[in-house]
Amino acid sequence: MTIAVRIPEALRAYSGVAGEICLPANSVSAALDALREHYPDLYGSICDETGAIRRHINLFVNRELIARQDCRCANFKLNSGDVLTIWTAVSGG
Amino acid sequence: MAERVVLTVGTKKGLFVAEAGTSRRKFSLRGPFGSGVSVYSATIDQRSSPRIYASSCNAFFGMKVLVSTDLGKKFKTTKSAPAFPEGDGRALANIWSIEPGDNKKELWCGVEPAALFHSDDYGNSWEMVSSISNHPHSRQWHPGAGGLCMHTIVRDGNRIHLGISTGGHYVSEDGGASFHASNNGVGAGFVPDPYPEFGQCVHKIARHPDRPQRLYMQNHGGWEDRPGIGVLRSDDQGRSWTSIADGLPSDFGFPIVVHPQKPDTVYVVPLEPSTRTCPGGAPAVWRSENGGDSWKRRTAGFPKKDSFFTVLRDAMTIDETKSPALYLGTTTGQLWIGRDGGEQWECLYDSLPPINCVKAAVV
Repeated sequence: MTIAVRIPEALRAYSGVAGEICLPANSVSAALDALREHYPDLYGSICDETGAIRRHINLFVNRELIARQDCRCANFKLNSGDVLTIWTAVSGG
Repeated sequence: MAERVVLTVGTKKGLFVAEAGTSRRKFSLRGPFGSGVSVYSATIDQRSSPRIYASSCNAFFGMKVLVSTDLGKKFKTTKSAPAFPEGDGRALANIWSIEPGDNKKELWCGVEPAALFHSDDYGNSWEMVSSISNHPHSRQWHPGAGGLCMHTIVRDGNRIHLGISTGGHYVSEDGGASFHASNNGVGAGFVPDPYPEFGQCVHKIARHPDRPQRLYMQNHGGWEDRPGIGVLRSDDQGRSWTSIADGLPSDFGFPIVVHPQKPDTVYVVPLEPSTRTCPGGAPAVWRSENGGDSWKRRTAGFPKKDSFFTVLRDAMTIDETKSPALYLGTTTGQLWIGRDGGEQWECLYDSLPPINCVKAAVV
């Protein structure tokens, strides 16, 4: 089962990964594990060493915001063709 | 090629590199590198072909280490930054110090939350140094306003001094295999015990390489009921410390710098404890030429009033020319040069982003 991961512009430049990648995953947690294995720099920009989603990152499945505590929940299933969007709030002065 | 003076200026918005001939009459500036990201630490490594390393502390996407092999004309990231091992439970929040090791590939790195990392391959991979990072005291250290940071690494062969805020001063005598707290005489104004075993808010430690037994410390001072604990000296490799704050307008400050040719000459920037700004709105660098026994106020070229800047712990340094100049960066984005050992000050750049750290090298 393949899903798409969309990478925002700010993170593309930082991680060296193109705008969209496809990978097999049946849950958000599995998608993050796949990113860690195949795109470690990108993964490190999304999650810290403890696996927690970084403070300014939000994950959406299609158009639904995933609560931070659910991102690592293996029960948060993905379906083939789902789009996991990584969104960043680069803010401040 | 004639010798040049190279400065690294780590700011809230990236790293700048300034360069001049050894006359230091006219500097040129390039950057920012690591654009938009705060740089808390940089080092100009001259053990072989010069390399500049800098931390790039992205609050959004995590930490990187920048490296340049052409004296700061361009930078790339190393293959990895320090990271806590899986299962440790801590996550890297900042990189506060990068220091060369013995061989040309070797680097040491102090981070936030306070921990030490070591690299044997130019910073491309890192290993946590467990002896201090998992020291029995480590889970009792607390963050200061700047975070729980290991900001100072001073090496003398197998002896390694570390400064931690707030953790205190730790020493290894065996190349980092083990560390012990060494804070005899180092006070704290924020806990019931005025002289605890550890947990002091050390701001910076400095020493002269030709006199490694003598260390200077800018500690967190400015306490009315515990005066004089802010500026200290040790003459026994950090085993004991005594106050050298007498004569200063305030014992609060962040940086402390030693003259490259005169181990008894030391510089501090006293600040108002409540605001962390120049006392009376009149900036001054204070210089001692006798190891802190007495101090002289050096102000020529600084504003006489209405100037309230702050100089952070790594934002003052001194070059190693025959007539060394000091360099001082402010949180309001000014980079100052203090020619002739701090006798005459001039603002080189007045509108940089807030400055975290300044380093100088003659290359």
